[in-house]
Amino acid sequence: MDIISQLQEQVNSIAAITFNAFGTLQRDAPPVQLSPNYPEPAATTTATDDATPFPEQPKQLSAGLVKAAKQFDALVAALPLSEGGEEAQLKRIAELQVENYIIGQELQKQLEAAEKELKQVQELFGQAADNCLNMKKPE
Amino acid sequence: MATATYPPPPPYYRLYKDYSENPNSAPEPPPPIEGTYVCFGGNYTTEDVLPSLEEQGVPQLYPKDSNVDYKKELRSLNRELQLHILELADVLVERPSQYAKRIGEISSIFKNLHHLLNSLRPHQARATLIHIMELQIQQRKQAVEDIKRRREEAQRLLKDAFVTLDGQ
Repeated sequence: MDIISQLQEQVNSIAAITFNAFGTLQRDAPPVQLSPNYPEPAATTTATDDATPFPEQPKQLSAGLVKAAKQFDALVAALPLSEGGEEAQLKRIAELQVENYIIGQELQKQLEAAEKELKQVQELFGQAADNCLNMKKPE
Repeated sequence: MATATYPPPPPYYRLYKDYSENPNSAPEPPPPIEGTYVCFGGNYTTEDVLPSLEEQGVPQLYPKDSNVDYKKELRSLNRELQLHILELADVLVERPSQYAKRIGEISSIFKNLHHLLNSLRPHQARATLIHIMELQIQQRKQAVEDIKRRREEAQRLLKDAFVTLDGQ
């Protein structure tokens, strides 16, 4: 995939990591004590102990976010942005067009000459073959 | 089970009755549309230009110059994005009701990022064109060399054949 599409994909994935991170944290957060009058909330035994205990989740998610951001910076550094802007590119395209035209003319010339020679050789070959046929006496 | 039939062909097919005998008796196809047109209630334009950010109502966060340093701006927008995400996390902990403004800022940063990347596309198209033209020139040069070589080879073979024939 070309570099600009990769950059666009990276931006989208940074956004995805962000909202997934916040969503997961909000969904899995244990309840919080609202005021000193109410007793401490009982920790739910249906906690999400499937893969990671809760205090580790922010670390993992933020590590993922930072990794994605670093990847984006690496991709930006890899951009082959040739300095010179639009005019320099257009100038180069005009130069290449001229050169292409010249080479095209030369190729056409060589091709025509080669085709002429091919016809000559074919004629010669036909004559030689005819002579061979005429010379062979039937036994 | 109800099945729908295909829609009928457009009624002007009758105008093409004699097309096989006289192609000029039938109307020409309509010319391509220029400018703006309406399609399914939406307005589209045939000009392929990237709308600027101000037209979309998004504040432009990078300097509006004719030659923007893309790498620097992309990197600084990335840094801003990280800071804003951190701010959002803070706001959600301290003052959860004020998240909307932060989300608006984060989305405007994303829009700026995508706009910068999209404005790199014409540059990429020109660079691709330059690359293709260079390849084509190289291939043509190669073909010219090949043809020259083969012609010389054929002439040499012919000369050899003449010499052999004369020698007999």
